Amino acid sequence: MAFQTIIGPSSGTGSGVFPTLVFVQGNEQRVINLDHSPFGVGRKVDKDLVIADPRVSRDHALIVSENGVFSVVDQGSKHGTFVNGERVERKTLERNDRLEFGVREVAYVIFNPQHGTTNSAREFLSQISGMHISDETTDLEKLVLFLEAARKLNTIGVLDEILMTLLDVTLKLTRAERAYVYMKNAIGELRLAAGRNAKGEPLLDDKTISHSILEDALKSNSEFVLTDTSRSADLTGRKSIVAYDLRTVICVPLRKPQVQATRDAEAPAGAVSAEVMGALYVDSRFASRDISGVSNDILHAIATEAASLIENARLVQAEEAGRRYQQELSIAASIQQRLMAVTIPEVPFARLAGRNLSCKEIGGDFFDAVNTNEGLTIVLADVSGKGVSAALLASTLQGMIYSQLTAGMPLTDIVTAVNRFFTDKNIGEKYATVIIARVQHDGNVEYVNCGHILPLVVSNGEIQRPAFGNLPVGLLPDAKYKSDHCQLKPGDRLVLVTDGVTEAENAHGDFFEDSRLEQAAKTGTLEHIFTAISTFCGGTPLNDDCTVVELLYTG
Amino acid sequence: MSLKIDTRKSEGVTIISPQGRIVFGEEAAALRENLKRTLESTRQVVLNLAGVSYIDSGGLGTLVGVYSSARAGGADIKLTGLGQRLRDVLQITKLATVFEVYDSEQEAVATFHRGAA
Repeated sequence: MAFQTIIGPSSGTGSGVFPTLVFVQGNEQRVINLDHSPFGVGRKVDKDLVIADPRVSRDHALIVSENGVFSVVDQGSKHGTFVNGERVERKTLERNDRLEFGVREVAYVIFNPQHGTTNSAREFLSQISGMHISDETTDLEKLVLFLEAARKLNTIGVLDEILMTLLDVTLKLTRAERAYVYMKNAIGELRLAAGRNAKGEPLLDDKTISHSILEDALKSNSEFVLTDTSRSADLTGRKSIVAYDLRTVICVPLRKPQVQATRDAEAPAGAVSAEVMGALYVDSRFASRDISGVSNDILHAIATEAASLIENARLVQAEEAGRRYQQELSIAASIQQRLMAVTIPEVPFARLAGRNLSCKEIGGDFFDAVNTNEGLTIVLADVSGKGVSAALLASTLQGMIYSQLTAGMPLTDIVTAVNRFFTDKNIGEKYATVIIARVQHDGNVEYVNCGHILPLVVSNGEIQRPAFGNLPVGLLPDAKYKSDHCQLKPGDRLVLVTDGVTEAENAHGDFFEDSRLEQAAKTGTLEHIFTAISTFCGGTPLNDDCTVVELLYTG
Repeated sequence: MSLKIDTRKSEGVTIISPQGRIVFGEEAAALRENLKRTLESTRQVVLNLAGVSYIDSGGLGTLVGVYSSARAGGADIKLTGLGQRLRDVLQITKLATVFEVYDSEQEAVATFHRGAA
């Protein structure tokens, strides 16, 4: 029974840099990296691809690469080489071309097929690096184009991919043994960002890298520094050069590309003042090939394009990070919304309603309702300030109060604990006004008011304002808190509001004030109060969250 | 920014008179910075709030914060020129019991001399 090899981006040992061949014979599939040229196909056992079929010649065909372009060349085979069904002597290969060698249908090869599940930038880059863009386009220029494309695809981890590909391209251009990219970290130290050898294997930082040459290059104003140790006597004494027999080291400082100040005639020509982001380091040993002859043109190309490439990649990464940050924020906001969503408990003696009108920023208002053996407890709080910091504190405060309420703690203990928490943590000028009111089935209300707008009790069309109060929580560590009581009769309403209500402003700069609140609460319910606020404000947007909680005691 | 801060000296006491709104954000931050700087060179400060049209919760937090750290550092900030609104706020928040509040600037300044004598 034939077995199947699964084709996927992770298959094979390849780095993703090379194009692949997918060889299909019957039910068997095999992925082969086209990692060298020429690549031999035939019946001979030493071929890169051996097809054991009498119709295949011993030396059937070669796949060759020239300047990144792959072609198939027939070697005078008896039964011919076919590309997409057409017999060819020599043909440039395109992605997904179907190659057949002598034997038709039974065995064939697909050149560099597109992976259905490709999602890494590296895969993406490697795939298009096989493309033929223009004869004048350098490999690095191609990378810039790819980067643009990668940006459009919103690819994650672009920088690492770009660095790896940059190293591969640099190694190819310089024919050096090893290449590394160093990037400066936040405190200006050089840190290895990526390393590759000529075989495409990843390299780690090691002592054989001449850090002294690296440092010298960064300090110099040169575009690149090529050091041939055999020709400069003073270098031969350097530690790594002696120990590891380094022959040639090329260092390219990566400077942040600057907008060309062509209008600025004052700028001295050729001045190098741009910030150094890092360095590209390439070396070869004596025992290996000599790279001291690398042309200045190539080094110039690398120097000018590598930096802008990396800078672009960084921008892409920053963009991505910013996008993710926004996403995280909106997730946080929605979590907060859900935390703040109150399931109003059903109790036989009262009906509860609450509503919040948010201003455009996330605010620090919240209300909660918890039904326990001790009664139905309503919490309304307003954390000072606005935005994320206020919302964060509001969530913490809500969690603390909720858990202590469900644990059946006395109201004054709860606010004392919260005050202690806020002042101990020393969160700087942040505090909250809180009112907690616990209504029992007999209409008795215990409330603790910590700097909050006085509650309203609407009874027979009259307004009472139970006035007992304490300091807000979070201002003074030694604050003492006391509660008070009031009594509700059936039909009475207890109304709690935040100061966003009384301080709602109209176009003239007037506030809604307690008087209007009392008038609105006297004649109508919660919805009526909100209608009164929006009528008063007209088109003036709210400065602060408005929250109103109303409890109707039914008895 | 809707806050202007005047500073002058009267009988050895520094009098700080903010004009405008003390609200969460750069206004509250400006007042905090001003008071902190003042407290580096003097321990006797009168904060005259007559020119302040509005203080929101954030502004109030700043006042309490600066007041507490002044007290902790052995300095004193006395308040004067409070409008009805601010008096109400201090009443509701019970902060009237925390701050020393005087009806007039002269009175506030005089208490420093009485205390020093």
